[in-house]
Amino acid sequence: MLAARSLSVERSGRKVVRDVSFNIQAGEVHALLGGNGAGKSTTLLTFLGFLQPSSGSVEVRGLEVNGNVEAARRAIAYLPEAASLYGHLNAFENLRYFLSLAGADTSRKELDAALDSVALQADARGMRMRTYSKGMRQKVAIALAILRNTPILLLDEPTSGLDPVAIDEFNRLVRDLAGAGRTILLVTHDVYGACHVADRIDLLQNGALVGAFERPAGMDRIDTEAVHAAFARHAGAIQ
Amino acid sequence: MNNIFAIAREEARLWLRSRLALGALLVFALLLTATSWMTANRMSHELAHRAGQQALAEETFLAQPDRHPHRMVHYGHYVFRAPPPLSIIDPGVDSVTGQSIFLEGHRQNTAMFADAGAGANLGGFEELTAALAYQLFVPLLLIAIGHGLVIREREENTLAPLLAQGVSGTALCAGKWLALAGVALALLLPLVVLAVAAVPASGEGLAGAGLVSLYALYLLIWCGLIVLVSTAVRSRALALGVLALCWLGAALIVPRMAVESASSAMPTPGKLQTDLRMQADLREVGDGHNAGAPQFRQLQANLLAQYEVDRVEDLPVNFRGVVAEVAEADLTEVMNRYAEERMALESRQARFAEAFGWLSPVVAVSSGSRALAGTDLATHHRFLREAEAVRFDFVQGLNRVHVEQLTYTDDINRSIDEASQRATRMSAENWNVLDEFAFQPASVDERFAHASAPFAMLLAWLLLLGGGGLVAAKRLRP
Repeated sequence: MLAARSLSVERSGRKVVRDVSFNIQAGEVHALLGGNGAGKSTTLLTFLGFLQPSSGSVEVRGLEVNGNVEAARRAIAYLPEAASLYGHLNAFENLRYFLSLAGADTSRKELDAALDSVALQADARGMRMRTYSKGMRQKVAIALAILRNTPILLLDEPTSGLDPVAIDEFNRLVRDLAGAGRTILLVTHDVYGACHVADRIDLLQNGALVGAFERPAGMDRIDTEAVHAAFARHAGAIQ
Repeated sequence: MNNIFAIAREEARLWLRSRLALGALLVFALLLTATSWMTANRMSHELAHRAGQQALAEETFLAQPDRHPHRMVHYGHYVFRAPPPLSIIDPGVDSVTGQSIFLEGHRQNTAMFADAGAGANLGGFEELTAALAYQLFVPLLLIAIGHGLVIREREENTLAPLLAQGVSGTALCAGKWLALAGVALALLLPLVVLAVAAVPASGEGLAGAGLVSLYALYLLIWCGLIVLVSTAVRSRALALGVLALCWLGAALIVPRMAVESASSAMPTPGKLQTDLRMQADLREVGDGHNAGAPQFRQLQANLLAQYEVDRVEDLPVNFRGVVAEVAEADLTEVMNRYAEERMALESRQARFAEAFGWLSPVVAVSSGSRALAGTDLATHHRFLREAEAVRFDFVQGLNRVHVEQLTYTDDINRSIDEASQRATRMSAENWNVLDEFAFQPASVDERFAHASAPFAMLLAWLLLLGGGGLVAAKRLRP
């Protein structure tokens, strides 16, 4: 569903992703784990065509993104790291606007259901988003990604700003979405969250893959201690 | 296409919910309405005033009692340049050129420019007109509300979600441009009202529509520039700075450069210098008041031979009148030569300055606006020529009365006593030689022909900025 093949990316003349390869199957949750500046978000942005590979390639549903950007974006719902929607609109207006741009026609009932699934308080939904906390804005952005109803979700630090209860709910939601056949590429520096939701974790350090972990069959999560140790070994510090 | 409209609608909703943007829009709408109303009011008043003055001048001339015809030549007459109907939008050169001329014998009292460089004057801040408000201030409003159109999405991290919905950079920029263009076109409403108000008076709807189209094109260019800069730069502050510099250059520096360059490239001789040269040439022609001047000896000999008489007293025509008539024709030829030289130079200066429209859309729109409104330099020159034609006709008409109805003997003896003087007084009915003067605007075709170059410049600007915007939009990344 998603593939990176010997992907390298340069930004401002500096190589920030080096020869990264992975392949994500349909219904799989794949996490890119790493510290700040490891190249996680850069890798993710190449799938949207926002950045061009300096060598190698990325593919979405078998199509190379370079030259098929529009098709790639149609297949992907993207949750950026600093999820920002319009402050002068309320949650419903934001969702309707962004979904209309994606060509999706969504009913109020579907909007409410999506906002329920991210546990956004009902009384806040009609308020302008400039009054929202960071976590509330993140919930609306997650709802937007869900409502896009695309086969692929790219999530960049999705639990940033969420409280612990909301993080647990979000992790459950991600597993449910994967269970429903959605392919999810998750970028995070949260070891515990990644271990709980991902089927596979690739550890990135200085733009290169330095480790890979898979959820063993029959287990509900990847071994946190092993990932933690590898992360600490390579990054030198736990984020 | 749907996305472009959706983005434009969303931008409009943002402005409507922003007190600052809404306040700025309302202030500018008020400014434009007030300026348009004041300009229309002033020019309507001018039109009525000048028409009244013209009628009064004609009435006064025709009401003069029986007199020596040459006294009427010096009594003179006034003509007024009636402002064209569309001058309620753009009075053009009206304020920097004279609007009336005193017509008299032996002199061309042209309505001269105030200074040597004013031949290429593109208007200034002497008075705030509707045209000036649209040329200078509406772009400022568009910059104020539009500089952050695209860059804001980047700075507030909404660009990535937008593009991730499958919206192309081109569609995003087109939507933003459309929103700003909507505001710009809405601000044209006072101008449309003025154009419609002017049309019944002139029957020239096409010129009015052309004027509105010209300003629409001009404002769309600014919208294009604003979206281009907002797309290409990396911060809102930088976008505002770049656009402010563009406005300064386009609205103040290039127009000033145009005037200065035109004056330097084609310097106009000073009025005093020209007058001295012309006076020298006029002296060659001879003084028409002095029939004995050496310049008229040949004329006298020719007349005596033609009528086979030995003395001027025996001529069947008044020799003094003939001298006045011939001298007037010769003087006029010299004066016209100087006037045409001056007007040709002024026209070249104006064309030189107009070419700066390739560097600044403000120069292009102001040239086109004056041409379509019928208030450009060419119109003023036509007024001077028409006024001169009236002057020459009425002076020569009076000279003909002098030649044919007043005997030479009576004429030379007029100072002997009261009875002799009475004998030289011609009937006031002869003052009807004066033609009625009603200055009309140039034809619509002529005005469009004059405005074709500015239209071409503005179209080139739009295409250039459209192309630049397209390139920037295609490269748009979060």
